[in-house]
Amino acid sequence: MSVQTVGSQEVRAITVAVAGNPNAGKSTLINAIAGTRLHVGNWPGVTVEKKEAVFEYGGRKIKLVDLPGTYSLSPYTQEEIIARDYLVHEKPEVIIDVVDATNLERNLYLTVQLVELDIPMIIALNIHDEAEKKGYRIDAKAMERMLGVRVIPTVATKELGLADLLKAIVELADNPAGHLPKRLHYGEDIESAAQAVSAKIIDGSPSLTGKYPARWLAYKLLESDDHVLRETTVDNSGFLEEATRHLRKAHGDDIESIMADARYAQASGVTHEVLKKPEFRKTEVTEKIDGIVLNRFLGIPIFFAAMWLVFKFTFDVSAPFAEWIHTMTDGPFKRWVAVMLGFIHAPPWTVSLATDGVIAGVGFVIVFVPVIFAMMFFITFLEGSGYMARAAFVMDRAMHAMGLHGKSFIPMLLGFGCNVPAVYATRTLENPRDKALTALLIPLMSCGARLPVYVVFIGAFFPSHAGTILWSLYVMGIVLAVVMGIIFKRTLFRGESPLFIMELPPYRLPSFKSLMIHTWEKGKHFLIKAGTYIFAVSILVWFLLNLPWGVENKKDSYLGKTGQIIAPVLAPLGFGNWEASSSLISGLIAKEIVVGTMGEIYVQKAKEKKETPTLSEDLKEIGTSFGDAARESLANVFSTFGIASISSEESAEETGERASLRTVIKGQFTPLSAYAFITFVLLYMPCVVVAIAMRQEFGTWKWFGVAFVYQMALAWVVAFAIYQGGRLLGIG
Amino acid sequence: MDLSMLKPGERGKITKVGAIGLLKRRLMDMGVLVGEEVKLEKIAPLGDPIEVTIKNYKLSLRKKEAEGIAVEVIR
Repeated sequence: MSVQTVGSQEVRAITVAVAGNPNAGKSTLINAIAGTRLHVGNWPGVTVEKKEAVFEYGGRKIKLVDLPGTYSLSPYTQEEIIARDYLVHEKPEVIIDVVDATNLERNLYLTVQLVELDIPMIIALNIHDEAEKKGYRIDAKAMERMLGVRVIPTVATKELGLADLLKAIVELADNPAGHLPKRLHYGEDIESAAQAVSAKIIDGSPSLTGKYPARWLAYKLLESDDHVLRETTVDNSGFLEEATRHLRKAHGDDIESIMADARYAQASGVTHEVLKKPEFRKTEVTEKIDGIVLNRFLGIPIFFAAMWLVFKFTFDVSAPFAEWIHTMTDGPFKRWVAVMLGFIHAPPWTVSLATDGVIAGVGFVIVFVPVIFAMMFFITFLEGSGYMARAAFVMDRAMHAMGLHGKSFIPMLLGFGCNVPAVYATRTLENPRDKALTALLIPLMSCGARLPVYVVFIGAFFPSHAGTILWSLYVMGIVLAVVMGIIFKRTLFRGESPLFIMELPPYRLPSFKSLMIHTWEKGKHFLIKAGTYIFAVSILVWFLLNLPWGVENKKDSYLGKTGQIIAPVLAPLGFGNWEASSSLISGLIAKEIVVGTMGEIYVQKAKEKKETPTLSEDLKEIGTSFGDAARESLANVFSTFGIASISSEESAEETGERASLRTVIKGQFTPLSAYAFITFVLLYMPCVVVAIAMRQEFGTWKWFGVAFVYQMALAWVVAFAIYQGGRLLGIG
Repeated sequence: MDLSMLKPGERGKITKVGAIGLLKRRLMDMGVLVGEEVKLEKIAPLGDPIEVTIKNYKLSLRKKEAEGIAVEVIR
C-alpha cells in the first residue's frame, strides 16, 4: 500500500450508521456525542427527519448518520424502509446498534437482523445504569462472543461510555475483515433453503452479489420480501414457492412467521445466556405511576390536567416574548430604518416597503419563534418522558371514532392557541395518514388570532350574550371537526385505518441537553425554512395593499379591487361589500388582521403626531421591555398554579379605536350577518403561516390544497345556512 | 378465547396469531408470537385500547387488533 492511500484513507470520513429501537435512547446518545454539530434535514423524498454529524476523533473524521428508530427491518413503515435502504445501499463502515439494556430481548430482535448485513457492528448497551439498578447483570463479553460484535455499556443521559464507543468505531473501521459479525444459525431447514436460494438466484448474478449483502438477500428472497423482489426484479416466484414449501409444511405456518420465530429464537437465546435477573421482581416505578395515571377513574382527569399545563406553558410562557418582539420590530426598528432612509433622501415608497414590508415581514416571522420553541420543548419532553404514549392510550378511543389516532389530541389542542405550532406538533404521529388527517382538522380549532375578530363583532352586536356567542363558535369548530373527520375517513382516507400497536416505554427523565438541542434545531429550522416563505408573502401583501402607489382611497388599491371582485360571491352570506371582502383577504395573512384592515377602511385613523423617542430612549426601552417580558413569562408560569394573576390591559388608544370601529360596523352589518361573518372567519382558509407549516411538514402543497378547498366550501356553506336560514326564520 | 377478552391481571399463552399482512408482521416484530406468555395489564379508561406485558415490556394495542390473537388462559 502506498503512503498516499494511507493518507487519503485517514482523511476520508468513517461512515457510521446509528440504528436502534424507538425509546432506546438513540437520540440522546447522538446528541451527547455530536452536540451542536448535528445537522438536521430530511431523508430524500420523505418528511422523516435525518440527523447527521461530522466530527473529528483522534485525528480521524467520523460521520454519524442517525437512522429512524425501528423495531425491525421489515419493509412496512416509512422508517423501516429508510433504515434498511441506507444500510443496504449506502453500506456504512460501522453500525452502532443502540440497545436498551432494560429490555434486552426485544431490542436484540433488531440486532439479529442487523447482524445479517455483515457490517462491523458495535452494540451500545444503553441505559445501563437503570438495568443495574434493577439488579440486572449483563455479561457483555459473552454477548460479544455470541454475536461477533463489540458491546459497550453506555449511559447516554450521563454521557458515560462515549469515549469507548468512539475508540471502537476507529478500531472496527481500520480492520473491518477482523470484525465481521457472526453468522447466526437459524436452523437446519431454513439455512438449507437459504442456501438453495443463493445457489439458484444470487450466485449466478453479479448484479446482485455486488449490490447486496449475500446472506441478507438470501433471507429476504426466501421471505418473498415485496420490496426486495421489486427492487431486484428477481422473478422466481415459482422457485421461491418451491424452496419454502418444505419449511411451511414442517412449521405449519407462513414463511414470514417462521423467519420471525427464528430471529426471535436467536434474540431469546442470547438474552437467556447473558442476562441474569434478580429472583424477586420489585414493582417498578413505571408500574406505580401507571397505576395512577392510567387508572380507570383518574386517568382522564389526570390527562386533562396535564394537557391544560402543556397548553398554558406553551402559550403563556412564549406570549410575553412574542409581544416584545412585536413591539420592537413595530416601534424602534421601523423608526430607525425610516430615519436612515430619510438621511439618504430615499423616496417615500421605499421607506414604506422597508418598514411596512420588510421589517413587518421579519417581525412577523420571529413573532412565531417563541411559541414554536415552547411547543417543541414540551412535546419533546412529553415524548421523552414516556407520557405521550400514555396520552395516546387514554384518548385513542375518542379520537379513533373520528378516524384519528390517540396522539392526535395534543396537536388539536394546541390548535386553540395557534394553528402553526399545532401543525408542527403533528410530527409526533408516525403514520403519514394519521398525520395528514390531523393537520387537516387543526384549522377548525379556533385559534387565538380569531378571537379579536369575534370580540369586536360580539361587542358591537351581542354585548348581553357575549359568552354564549363566543362559546358557540368554539363548539361549532369542534363539532365540524368531528363531522369532517368522519367524512374524510370515508372519502379521502378510505381503507384500513393505521395500526395503533405501540410500546408504552418506561417513564424516564429526558436529558436537558438533548431537550435543548432538539428544541433549538426545530426553532432554527422554522426560522430558516418557513421564515423565507413568510417573508416573501408579507412583501407580496405590501404590494397588494399599497399599489398603485399613492392611492388615497383603499378602494382603489389592489386589495380593494380584489375585494370588489369577490364581494358578489359573499353577497348570499350577508356581507357582500368590498370592505368586508377586502378585510377577509387581508386576514389570510393572519386572521386577527381582519380587524386591523377593517379599522383602516372604516375608521379614518386619526394620525396624531407622537413624539419620536431618541435612540438612547429606544435602546433603553428594548432592554427594559425584554426584562418585563421575561418577568411576565415567569409570572405566567406561576399563575398557572394560581399564584399570580395575569394582567392584560389594552392600551387606551386601542380601546378607543375599537369603540369607533364598533360604531361603524353596527351600520354595516345586521346581528345575523355579523354572526355569519364571524362564522366565516372561524372556518375559512387557514392563514398563510399555517399553509407554510403544512408545506414544510408534508413536503408538498397537497394537504394545504385540500384544506383550502374544503375550508372555503365549508365556510361558505355554513355562513350561507346561518344567514339564509336566519332570514327564513325572520331573525335578520 | 382471544387476547381482547382477558381481564386485567390475567395471564395467557398465545396459541395462534390469526392476523394477516401488515398487522401480523407488526405484531410479530413486537414479539407477539405463538407460545409467548402475555399478561393483560390494563384497559384504557374509555374501554379501548388495552395494555399487555409481553417479552418483559409493555405493549398497547386496540381491541380490534388483539382479536386475532388466540390465547389460552394460564391459571
